[in-house]
Amino acid sequence: MSSNAPSFDDDFEFIPDQITESRRRAGKLLVRVFFALFVGIFALQILYKTSMIGFGFENWRPVLYAYLAWAVAIGVGQVISRGEAGYRALFVLPAVMFVISVVIVPTLFGLVIAFTDYNLASFEGQKFNGFDNIVQLVQDDFFWNAMRNMVFYVLAVFVEYAIAFGLALLLNADIKARKFFRVAFLLPFMLSPVAVSWMIGKSLMENRFGPVARLARNLGWDSPAFFTNPWIARISIEIMDAWVSIPFIMILLLAGLQAMPRDVIEAAKVDGANPWQNFWKITFPLMLPVSATAIVLRIIFKLKLADIVINVTSGGPGGATDTLSSFIFREYRDRSNVGYGTMIAIVYLITIIIFITLLLGFVSKRMQKMT
Amino acid sequence: MTSKAEEAGNFEHDENRFRLLTILSRVLIYSLLFFWVFVSLFPIFWTLTTSFKTAVDVTRGHIIPWVEFQPSWKGFRSLGLSPDTIWATSTVRDEFLKRFTNSVITSIGASTLAILIGSLAAYGLSRFQYRFGFMRNKDISFFFLSQLILPPVVLALPFLILYKELALLDTTLGLIFLYTLTVLPIVIWIMRDQFDTIPAELDEAAQVDGLSSWGAFFRVILPIALPGMVASFILSLILTWNEYFFAALLTSSEAKTLPVMVASQTGSQGINWWSMAALSTMAIMPLVIIGIALEKYIIKGMSAGSVK
Amino acid sequence: MRKEIYEAIMRRQASRRSVLKGMAGASATAMASGSILGAMTSSASAASGSAALRAELLKIPGVGMGSPTDADWQKVGALTLGPTKENVAEGEFAGVELTFMGLNNQNLHNLLFRGFLKPWEEYTGAKINWIDLAQADYNARLQQSIATGTVDFDIIEMGAPFEGDVTGKGLASEMPDWVRKQIDMDDYVGYLQAPVGTWDGKTYRISIDGDCHNFNYRTDYFESKELADAWAAEGHEGPWEVPTTWQKVQEVTKFLKGKKDPFGGDAYGYLDPLKGWGGFGFYFLGSRATAYAKHPDDPAFLFDPDTMKPRINNPAWVRAIQDVLDAIDSQPPDQLNADPGTTGFQQFLAGTGSMLSWWGDIGSNAKTSDGSVVGDVVGFSILPGSDDVYNSKTGKWETLPSGPNYAPNMAYLGWGVYVMARVDSDSKKHKAAWSAAAHLGGKDISLWAAAYPSGFQPYRNSHFNIDEWVAAGYDRAFIEDYLSSEADSYNHPNAAIEPRIPGIFQYYSVAEDELAKIYAGQYDAQTGADNIAAAWEKITDQIGREQQIKLYKASLGL
Repeated sequence: MSSNAPSFDDDFEFIPDQITESRRRAGKLLVRVFFALFVGIFALQILYKTSMIGFGFENWRPVLYAYLAWAVAIGVGQVISRGEAGYRALFVLPAVMFVISVVIVPTLFGLVIAFTDYNLASFEGQKFNGFDNIVQLVQDDFFWNAMRNMVFYVLAVFVEYAIAFGLALLLNADIKARKFFRVAFLLPFMLSPVAVSWMIGKSLMENRFGPVARLARNLGWDSPAFFTNPWIARISIEIMDAWVSIPFIMILLLAGLQAMPRDVIEAAKVDGANPWQNFWKITFPLMLPVSATAIVLRIIFKLKLADIVINVTSGGPGGATDTLSSFIFREYRDRSNVGYGTMIAIVYLITIIIFITLLLGFVSKRMQKMT
Repeated sequence: MTSKAEEAGNFEHDENRFRLLTILSRVLIYSLLFFWVFVSLFPIFWTLTTSFKTAVDVTRGHIIPWVEFQPSWKGFRSLGLSPDTIWATSTVRDEFLKRFTNSVITSIGASTLAILIGSLAAYGLSRFQYRFGFMRNKDISFFFLSQLILPPVVLALPFLILYKELALLDTTLGLIFLYTLTVLPIVIWIMRDQFDTIPAELDEAAQVDGLSSWGAFFRVILPIALPGMVASFILSLILTWNEYFFAALLTSSEAKTLPVMVASQTGSQGINWWSMAALSTMAIMPLVIIGIALEKYIIKGMSAGSVK
Repeated sequence: MRKEIYEAIMRRQASRRSVLKGMAGASATAMASGSILGAMTSSASAASGSAALRAELLKIPGVGMGSPTDADWQKVGALTLGPTKENVAEGEFAGVELTFMGLNNQNLHNLLFRGFLKPWEEYTGAKINWIDLAQADYNARLQQSIATGTVDFDIIEMGAPFEGDVTGKGLASEMPDWVRKQIDMDDYVGYLQAPVGTWDGKTYRISIDGDCHNFNYRTDYFESKELADAWAAEGHEGPWEVPTTWQKVQEVTKFLKGKKDPFGGDAYGYLDPLKGWGGFGFYFLGSRATAYAKHPDDPAFLFDPDTMKPRINNPAWVRAIQDVLDAIDSQPPDQLNADPGTTGFQQFLAGTGSMLSWWGDIGSNAKTSDGSVVGDVVGFSILPGSDDVYNSKTGKWETLPSGPNYAPNMAYLGWGVYVMARVDSDSKKHKAAWSAAAHLGGKDISLWAAAYPSGFQPYRNSHFNIDEWVAAGYDRAFIEDYLSSEADSYNHPNAAIEPRIPGIFQYYSVAEDELAKIYAGQYDAQTGADNIAAAWEKITDQIGREQQIKLYKASLGL
């Protein structure tokens, strides 16, 4: 359980290696040489591309190679100059260097265009327009409407979580043909969102001949329409998304259930608690760390919900099912309104980061209280 | 695994001394299980059978093959994959096969890379205290997680320019890098939970035996966490296999993948239900096979903590 | 009453036939002169094939023989290589590689082009690489390619609305004269002639498709005795007949609510697609509005050409929006979530609803698609007119002395093939690219594409030779009705022609968003229309007002 993690490092006494001064210097020199190489090639390429000098590379690929060489040099340098501590840094360095190399340029670029009126069709190109985009955002009904819908969608994650928990408990019970049930329950997660939109949203839930509509009619709903009334539409979209995603939560929870320490259950057995008490007193608290990871990952996926909405309702009726991602999608892609679209995304990103930080803080506080 | 579950069963059994109640709970459990099997599988059954339906059978919502409609090879014929067209030349089939191959390479490549560097980072974050400037372990974890948050659509233009300059447009390698980025946060979070559940005593024992931190990782910890890696590998595979947005943006004629072809079955003239269903069926097949083959690892993997 | 119906039908048929006869006569003359010259070419062009060749083409694989296969596409491509062979020597383009960007629209378009161009590749020695896009990605991908300088294709399949973005920015290659001759551009129907396809007097476009909205209706509804009796019993004015004005369409639609469809099931009147479709949904409001908004004396109907001030919130457009709102209660359930695709292919063709505006493919699918149940009961005409028309200059509604105002909506203008300017520097590549494009836009190949499932509609006067279609296996009455409605729209003097200004789909897309709110009852028609107008003004300012005014005027031929 991750809750046990913090105690971990305390047990794990770290003794720094004895590193000679020359070794330390050699390591630093190595990193500096490759850094200089990287900067040099980078500068050369900038000069070439801006036509300040006549020679250079056809594309920026060599700069990428220089970056890779520098990254390797940092790793080697860490080991040379810091010994064991360097080896330890080596675990996390590749991932960090990789992520930075892939996202740094797009992120900076995004920050710049968020403050412009960049429209791809424009003849004049982009113009810096200060905080106009933010002002527009605050006044944009579509933005606030999508935000309100997101509250609903995010709250629905807890319903998904409850169902997934139930399914995980079922699969964890003493049942026959366990393998069949597990694979069957996992299958919906494998279907691509495009196929889900069409095969379910536009075919299964089609209001005249779709099997779901036929079922609804047999149950006494005269003219079923799943995407006309705002609330029914929102719930229909949520059901489709839940159908795809519940297996994801379920698998994480099932794994957690299987990992539950046996001695705790034994102890509870002696107590003579009934299954319901068992669940709330023992299983649920023990599952909290896994649940937190599952819910946080799921909420992040939910906040990016777009495909199904775009394909099935285009955000309708009257914006009732619109998500922020599908709104950004229309603004950025359909309308090539790149500057404004990027600003919405950045504001959204900041909102989410604050929200997730609060959520994580809340969860860890609760967990400390309960365990 | 089974024995533990049986014990859990026995334990419930003892608790509810009433036999009737046990039978009732059995009935309840199995009816719930079968209900959810129906919920999970009916849409997939619908997709599968739709690939054998004519348009009228689709719009009329016919469900049961041979009773309500006569299956035909329509969907697979449109892809050049039915028995009567499999040997004839077919542009559509060539297109499908090329995209299928690319999808396999891209998703396996990206998932492998993500597992590789993701597991290392997760292990590091789980075992050691880092400090990069103001960032501590918690912040580094969150930094990785935050890469998952930004709606991909706003990265469209920046990535187009970046990839153009790096000559990575329309290359499988470029797509692999990007997909690695998208699944890396998930891998790191899941694997960090995994490593956290493996007692640190194991590392210490290994180091007492004279192994370095990397030696301990590879010889002792990795084998225990391997099933967990398989599980996150499968999750990554599913997510990258179905990625549509960047595939549509960054590939042209060489690195193109399957999801764009699925989406191409709709357009200004409605939708080719049968070929979309056939494509979806073909696209889900490899995942199902992998799911069946590796299912036990998913469960075992995540439950590495049972060593406790 | 029956007599009146009969006479009304005869009048309309007569006017259609005369148009058609004239056209068939014209193309027959062209063909005759061709045979007198004893060559495969006529004096007017280098591309018109012999009648025998055209008849042979239309037998591949034959109407009712199932969908054409890859082999059929290649056969058609090989048979129509004649004009290419006149301009290009065998193996002339050996070593040339071209990249072609287009759609994979349900495994047609680009995949069809592959088949068509395979014999061309074999003959010329060039090789083509293909970029297939899904329709939903097309606009974004094109805009982003242009903006980031990642135009990595030499030939593009593109709709006319994007001309402003591509040719307006100097990215397209001007058409050489030999291509103009090879494809016989004079054969294009009226609205596809210049200024469409041209920019600043230069020609860029090879048309491969024609697009306009026409009016599709169910003949069984309007021949139904029961409905006719009910119509009279409810005291409606005039006979029970296919409505020819939007005023009548509204009346019929409301009348049909609660009645029974001749197939069984509930009857519905005119179908409004109420959900957006990536900008394409706006065309359907356009089709309702053009008769109100497009005055015969004024070429513009969407913006004021002098100021780019939107007309979307003028009384004409607001009336069209109000019409949609008034008819919402008479629509099928869940219509709020029906985009045009659903409305056309899953409702109208599947037997729900009796009237619909759509491009030509509803007509061709009605007979050939196995999803259609209306093949024998579908009729066609140009879009309904209006008793009065709004004059933007005077700000008044006018009744024209000539009767109702008709203004067919030339929505999207169809697909074309364009060559990108990046081939201009390499003369061999330049010729190869244009030769490939000309092959796809050839006169004879297009006849086949118009007659068989291809995703493309008739767009040449020579496509309207009924005898050719009948010889290929089409039912004469059906094809006459279908082709004449197309021809009447294409050559209509008061056609409302798609503006080809840059970013036009941005305007449509934002309008769809606001329309969705109006249809969901959040705003009334006027407020909603004002919102659209405000959003449009913002887009215009963003793209550059001066530039837009200039281009809008150019696109209108002013």
